[in-house]
Amino acid sequence: MNRKNRIILSCVYWAFVAYVFVPLILMVLMGFKDSNFIGFPIRSYTLEWYTGVFDDAETISAFVYSVAIAVLSTVISILVGTWIAVLLEGRSFWGRAVVFGMTVLPALIPGIISAIAFRIYARYLGIEPGMGAIIWAHAVHNVPFVVLVVMARLSTLPKSQIEAARDLGADPLIAFLRITFPYLVPAIMGASIFCLLLSFDDFVRSFFLGGYEPTLPVLIFAKLKSGMSPEINAIATVALVLTAVIGVWAERFTRRMNKDS
Amino acid sequence: MTYEASARKERGAAEKAPADRTFWGRLSAWAPYRALAAMATASPRRQFLILAIFPILWVLTQHLGPMLQMLRVSLTDAYPVAPGVEQHFTFDSYLRFFQDPLFWMPFFRTLIFAGVFTFCTLILTYPVAYFLARHVSRKNQMLFLLLLLIPFWVGEIVRTYAIMILLGNTGAVNLVLRWIGLIDRPIPFMYTSFSMGVGIVYLTALYMLLPLYSALEKLPKSMNEAAADLGAGAWTRFRRVTLPLTLEGISSGCTLVFLISTGFYATPVLLGGPSTTVFAETIAGFFHVAGDEWPTGAAFAVIMFLAALGISAAFQRLMSALRKGDTK
Amino acid sequence: MANDPLVRLDGITKRFGDTVALDNLTLDIAQGEFVTFLGPSGCGKSTTLRILGGFEQPSEGRVLLRGEDVTRRPPEKRNVNMVFQDYALFPHMTVRQNIGFGLELKGMGKSEIRARQDEIMAFLELEAFGDRYPAQLSGGQRQRVALSRALAPDPALLLLDEPLGALDAKLRAQVQQELKSIQRRTNKTFFFVTHDQEEALTMSDRIVVMSNGRVEQDGTPEELYFHPASRFVAEFIGETNLLNGELRGTDGDAVVMDWFGQTLRGHAPAGVPPKGAPITASVRLEKLDFHKERPATANAVQGRVVGKTFLGSRMAVDLTVEDAQGAHLKAYVDAETGQSVGDAPVWIGWDGKTAWRCCATEIRCPGRPFGRPGIALQPSISCFRARRKSRMSRADFSSIET
Repeated sequence: MNRKNRIILSCVYWAFVAYVFVPLILMVLMGFKDSNFIGFPIRSYTLEWYTGVFDDAETISAFVYSVAIAVLSTVISILVGTWIAVLLEGRSFWGRAVVFGMTVLPALIPGIISAIAFRIYARYLGIEPGMGAIIWAHAVHNVPFVVLVVMARLSTLPKSQIEAARDLGADPLIAFLRITFPYLVPAIMGASIFCLLLSFDDFVRSFFLGGYEPTLPVLIFAKLKSGMSPEINAIATVALVLTAVIGVWAERFTRRMNKDS
Repeated sequence: MTYEASARKERGAAEKAPADRTFWGRLSAWAPYRALAAMATASPRRQFLILAIFPILWVLTQHLGPMLQMLRVSLTDAYPVAPGVEQHFTFDSYLRFFQDPLFWMPFFRTLIFAGVFTFCTLILTYPVAYFLARHVSRKNQMLFLLLLLIPFWVGEIVRTYAIMILLGNTGAVNLVLRWIGLIDRPIPFMYTSFSMGVGIVYLTALYMLLPLYSALEKLPKSMNEAAADLGAGAWTRFRRVTLPLTLEGISSGCTLVFLISTGFYATPVLLGGPSTTVFAETIAGFFHVAGDEWPTGAAFAVIMFLAALGISAAFQRLMSALRKGDTK
Repeated sequence: MANDPLVRLDGITKRFGDTVALDNLTLDIAQGEFVTFLGPSGCGKSTTLRILGGFEQPSEGRVLLRGEDVTRRPPEKRNVNMVFQDYALFPHMTVRQNIGFGLELKGMGKSEIRARQDEIMAFLELEAFGDRYPAQLSGGQRQRVALSRALAPDPALLLLDEPLGALDAKLRAQVQQELKSIQRRTNKTFFFVTHDQEEALTMSDRIVVMSNGRVEQDGTPEELYFHPASRFVAEFIGETNLLNGELRGTDGDAVVMDWFGQTLRGHAPAGVPPKGAPITASVRLEKLDFHKERPATANAVQGRVVGKTFLGSRMAVDLTVEDAQGAHLKAYVDAETGQSVGDAPVWIGWDGKTAWRCCATEIRCPGRPFGRPGIALQPSISCFRARRKSRMSRADFSSIET
């Protein structure tokens, strides 16, 4: 009985793995097709589309634009998120629950609504659509994730560590910089990579807050609206490989860091 | 005794302030820093204020602010305000929603779709989570999970596009079906609620899988064995033991997936057709055209947010009521 | 200034919400003393330590350090260092860096820091471990690093918060000796907090027994052991037989009491309560001797052995005294005597002058059975609950106390 269950369940699992991977694999394959027409079967292969990606100024600039946005928004998210986490963790004060609720709010708002709200607020603040607006929206949207990750790490720091530092003559700021911060580094690294990927992959906020220059997902979307072509596959594959590799590496990295300490 | 000697020596040295102090020593002795630190730490209350003021301002203005501003705009008749035009308070934008089926049809469609897709995701991922938590050894669990996490890092657009290739008329599914001989002409999967469903389930599956997995993983194996010992069959065991004890995971997974599903914009645009227009597209429409439509868009976004939040809250209540009923 | 004690606690009261952790504590500590605060968890000893370290602020009262009021001063501005219960070594710094942490912040130069590090590491035999991280050290080594780190900045007062709790029994005995010798060699003032009475007796010059936020007794280890001032101290320090009876009167220096029909003699520490008052006598286990015939000692009762526990060098014997309504006594005797006693009744004798003390009855824990040997307790209930309960009970029995 148990054995039969197990076999059925393992079939379901591998079917699920197939469901998750096959579309992506097909997409990668399609990028090798020696034809303008998207569709199976693939009769002859070419590397042309992939080499073309690296010659296409529009793609390259969208890529650079996306990376720049991801890096800058991540820096902001990390600084703000860490600060909020330090305030919220292990401290009880009047209104803490409210502050925490507001902190996680951006993560709970459905994508389109958050994009609209940012669009309106950017207008209200006088931020023109474009790079600044996207960075700002991504930063705000990613703060809750940083706060949660950093809080989780912070909760495992023994209180006596800070007390020992204070005891030996460190004021609260020096104690934070020399004891708390080094302890938080693994969490901050993990959260940074998570933010980088969230920002790099984000479409809806970039779409509504963007100016004339598209981020990579927006560029792919625009190209898709005007028709499918193996060129898009090649661009998408480059994005896929990059994000998947960073994601897997980050996963392993944070796991190792957590194991070490 | 060397100990005492050095202690005395050091006391004398502290007054001279040696030149080769370390960075931290230099910093904590630096007069401006000392003055600043003394001011900041003068009382625990002040110290807390200095720590708290920025985070509180940030969440108020950056997290809550956009939502409040959206609410405000939804209650006006014109935004952005053109010079010379006066802005008025009005409920017109909200009333507009009920006047035209073109508006409320997509709204209900979105909620129904989101509900159905959430349910499909749950049915699809529960056995997977169950398998991972129960039938995979501890050592391999992380590996098996990581395998599923890889596609999670790939963006929404890229994954939507992958589904397009899979389901197109000349896509892989049609090719396979034709090759087996089941069909002669391709089935038009694309631009229907089916393709949209496949896409959205594809995008959200992990948000369901992770809460389910952690709920199942926490469940002790002995619980099931005890039930078996008492003579419960496999189905009874699942229905009476496993399912009730994972309701919390189900509840949080479903809420998450439901909220995310209502917020998709690009996926319905790319995978759906004219008959499957969702509310996100309706809302977005108001922001592509002239500025005076913004209040309507904002109002619609508010309606959707409240509806999605309301349904989620109601669902969570229902689940917790179920959970309590079961433990009685 | 010169006459000021190193530390003066002046009417310290600390409240956490409704509970009183410290109740009007006043105490002086002299330079070079090894003072131990001893008590069950929740008695206020750790709170006292944290107030001295600057981690807590008293609700009332003042803390004076060499005559200077430091009550509101944060920890970084006090010349007081602490050895934490979990050592709190910084995991990302080497032993050397850990020791240097306080020196850097004192504004010492690099060469000076280096010299001081070398010196203190030599002093505590840590030379070989300078470049190791705390995770690479054994428990005892970590303990020494924590001690070096706290001693390095040359504090006026060293606070030790149960620093031996994490060590195994054998190592602990060795570290106790080391600590004592370090204290003597550096002539530093050690303020040591523990719930382990044996530890306190071994190391201290002076022990302050705390209970419910108050000082029960303040004295040398010998005073505490042989002349407990209260039932609580008698029970908490060492093992003892507590005999509940009624006061009969005085006979010269001796106090005479009635213990279930047996007349016993002993010394009362301070002030003899009125005749007829309930009284509790404390008799140390090792003070009871066994005899075949009725001994000539001041006190003698006949008992029957009901249980024996072999402890190596000695034997613990449980007895019942039928003449005293079957009350229990416990005695430590040498192993041979222990083995020789059988089922036949034995005479138990003890001296009326030195061997036992009477103390006025103080009912602290009404739940505890009377007339049985009280064994030093390790309360497992959380401190706040315990405190609240006993507070109530003290009020209930206040008439008996007076």
